[in-house]
Amino acid sequence: MKTQLLPATPATGRPGQPGLPSIPRAPRGRTDHGRFARQHRQRLLRADLLTVIAWTSVAASVALWLADGGTSAVTSPAALFTAAGIVAGLAGMDLVLLMLLLVARIPFIDRTVGHDRALEFHRKLGKPSLYLLLAHGMFIAVGYGMADGLDPISESIALWTLVPDMWLAFVSMALFVAVVVTSLVAVRRRFPYEFWYVVHLLTYAAVGTSLPHQFSAGGLFAEGTWQRWYWLAVCIATGAALLYCRIAQPLVATFRHRLTVSRVTGVAPGVVNIEMTGRHLGRLAGAGGRFFVWRFLAPGLWWHPHPFSLSAEPAAYGPEGQGTLRITVRNLGRGSARLVRLRPGTKVALEGPYGLFSTAARGRDKVVLVGAGIGITPLRALLETTPFAPGQATVLLRGHTEQELYLRDEILELCRQRGAKLFHLTGPRAQWNSTTWLPDEAVRSGYSLPSYVPEIADADVYICGPARWAGNVIADARAAGVRPDQIHHERFDW
Amino acid sequence: MKARGALSAAVASAGILLAGWQAGTQVAGVSTTNNGSTTAAGTSGAGTSGGGASASGSAGSSGSSDSSGSSGSAGSSGTSGSSGGASTAGTFKGSVVQTRFGAVQVQITVSAGKISEVTALQLTDDDRKSIQISNRAAPLLRTEVLSAQSAAVKTVSGATVTSNAYLSSLQAAIDAANL
Amino acid sequence: MPRTSENPAPPTESAPLRAATFHCMGTVVSLTMPAVPGPGGHPAEDELAAAAAVVECVFLELDRTFSLYREDSEASSLARGELSLRDASPGMRERYSDALEWRLRTHGAFTPERPDGVLDLSGLIKAYAIQESGTSLLALGRTDWCLNAGGDVLVSGSPVPGGTGPWDAGIMDPLDRGAVQAGYPLGGRLRHSALATSGSAERGDHIWRQRGEAPAFVQVSVAAADITTADVLATAIVAGGIPMLDRATDGWDIAVLAVRPDGALLGTPDFRR
Repeated sequence: MKTQLLPATPATGRPGQPGLPSIPRAPRGRTDHGRFARQHRQRLLRADLLTVIAWTSVAASVALWLADGGTSAVTSPAALFTAAGIVAGLAGMDLVLLMLLLVARIPFIDRTVGHDRALEFHRKLGKPSLYLLLAHGMFIAVGYGMADGLDPISESIALWTLVPDMWLAFVSMALFVAVVVTSLVAVRRRFPYEFWYVVHLLTYAAVGTSLPHQFSAGGLFAEGTWQRWYWLAVCIATGAALLYCRIAQPLVATFRHRLTVSRVTGVAPGVVNIEMTGRHLGRLAGAGGRFFVWRFLAPGLWWHPHPFSLSAEPAAYGPEGQGTLRITVRNLGRGSARLVRLRPGTKVALEGPYGLFSTAARGRDKVVLVGAGIGITPLRALLETTPFAPGQATVLLRGHTEQELYLRDEILELCRQRGAKLFHLTGPRAQWNSTTWLPDEAVRSGYSLPSYVPEIADADVYICGPARWAGNVIADARAAGVRPDQIHHERFDW
Repeated sequence: MKARGALSAAVASAGILLAGWQAGTQVAGVSTTNNGSTTAAGTSGAGTSGGGASASGSAGSSGSSDSSGSSGSAGSSGTSGSSGGASTAGTFKGSVVQTRFGAVQVQITVSAGKISEVTALQLTDDDRKSIQISNRAAPLLRTEVLSAQSAAVKTVSGATVTSNAYLSSLQAAIDAANL
Repeated sequence: MPRTSENPAPPTESAPLRAATFHCMGTVVSLTMPAVPGPGGHPAEDELAAAAAVVECVFLELDRTFSLYREDSEASSLARGELSLRDASPGMRERYSDALEWRLRTHGAFTPERPDGVLDLSGLIKAYAIQESGTSLLALGRTDWCLNAGGDVLVSGSPVPGGTGPWDAGIMDPLDRGAVQAGYPLGGRLRHSALATSGSAERGDHIWRQRGEAPAFVQVSVAAADITTADVLATAIVAGGIPMLDRATDGWDIAVLAVRPDGALLGTPDFRR
């Protein structure tokens, strides 16, 4: 193991690292006490607001039915089944809309819970919404069947053939089942990502085919009812959010910034810096550490979206915001292998920035950055810009060898400039202990997170690295008294 | 903090559900008001027919099934002047109730201490002349409705009976007996 | 073909009743007549079979033209937009104008159009078929019969040939299909010879209601002099709730029995014991 410790006192007036577009003057010595605490309170408030909106939207969907006098119609077992079916359908559709909103990459949601947690909620809602929709279909078939004196199968056939738009609803149900089944992680591992992705696009077809019967067959949404307007508004708002945030905004950003690859340089074996030049990059200030979805418009590459974080704060120096962006990419799979051979001049489309791995997540004055492998690179960008007083920041970098601490020279330079403590934690992992994130030697010596950062309980902890390793860091931090809302974790293997 | 979010979400959701439920009962409430008006429009026993109980109280109080109590309340303008519960015969008019169909007054006829007839008088706005409402539908108890002996029924009317439902219907049994 | 049985049922009154049934318009139509030799002296079986054949003929003909579930019907062509109402058959245009007039008279509670705008006269056609069948039977000299098409009833004369007694019709209990909830006499010397029942429970909320309110009634039965009036008003009251009920009882000579969602009954005086 090698541990390198930099003194907390900042060196002054060092020039930027050669080969870097620029290292902007660090906003050193910003001691606006309470700024982060305030920001944190506001973010928690927004999170609570989102929780309230999500739950009340479910409640509202049921209230639609209640306000229609739904309970008074429940007078027989058949009506009970039908009512249960209607309620399940309303709640299920509401959850589906929530799921869509969670993946719409809406800035408000992104700034509040972050992209990966939004996806996590999205995944959590998958099964409940499917069960509700299945229950919707079955209860309705049973309820109507009982009222008609038919078994549920015959009733379903009757609904299919007799009620307009109902066959679409059956198609929709089949699509929903296909989407959720293929999305389950186990299944996802067996199919290539692209297949899973295309199946996921079927969600839109599933939602689209489910809409007609809601408005034509559902008595609740009959023409002229306020319920119809509410439901229309909710559906249209969701569709608009998707269209705007996932299609319009990326197109606008792509045309605004007009990015082209300017340079691809090797950092370490299999790891390259990709630099891009573009315009109006001043608008992306503060995006360092956050990720974009990149599409390199080269033959065979353009269709493949790559999520990568910026490894440096965007640098803008021209009169029209001309400047450079930089990402650091490791050759991880088929897609990223080709990136190593990217030719300068390649046009780049971008969506973003996304994620909460930025100053916006700060809640404390002290900050700790913990990274491993390629996960070090977004920390590099964050270290560049996030405000802290000298001595208030600690950087912990983990790798098997010194060569795996990518961008280590730049980070060292930044730490010197800004007065951050830096530890290099290298060496083989402790094979005998699967719960540690530290090198074997450090574990044997009894080290843990507070050994490096005694004041960690009062700091924001940014963690970026492989999932298992990051999980161990989080557990260590929690054991040291760090509260969940102080931990900012970006999954790097998705 | 998570608890705060969960709590406010729970409170807000409960509030919305309650509001929806309240609105739902008001939808039903509009129809019970109707029920009340039709109650006033011509019969006794309104208070016993379930759903309309609360709203029909005002309009239908005089038509309540308890004969002594009703004659007491309706006796304010009683023609025979007996306001006590011991009244044995006479015609009584209830108080005028405003409904969306206009002012309605219930008239009951009591003989031998029992209500023998209930009629509704509608007071039109222009001349306040009483006109009897003849054919308005009014609440009926199941025991009051014109009944039919199943054996004597020659045919059965029901909401659209499909071919499938027919097989298990009474009409099928009647047809089978006559085939 | 109408189905008739070989063995007469045991006589319940002076002459036993005989019934014939056939499937049409997605339901079962039954014709019941007293078993007496016909005007031409034919045996009672032939008499019933002939009458039922006439009725079936009327039903099939109308079904061919107006059913939306037959691809080749005129109504389907209209629904698909291949045919405009202007080019439709006189029968179709006549039924459509009937329907429009009923819509006007019921303040829109009864409408010939589905919510998607497709012309759907099926609500009216069954009643029309019953009415036409009745007219045909009378024209053929049959005066005592009871015709029931999927719960809509039209009678003529009396179950006893030459008698004046009415046909006793029962009304199905919407909460218990096997039970009769109320009775109503039809025909004989009474003013009502038709009885129709509409429900909102049949397909849950799939029956369209005005303004999407909760249904005021789960079942409405209307007795009237003719079957179309009975059928249309029953449908309209289910759709239009209490205001429509009061308009109907004020504006037509009908008897109404309506069942509220909680099982409570509303009835006109004719339905009172």
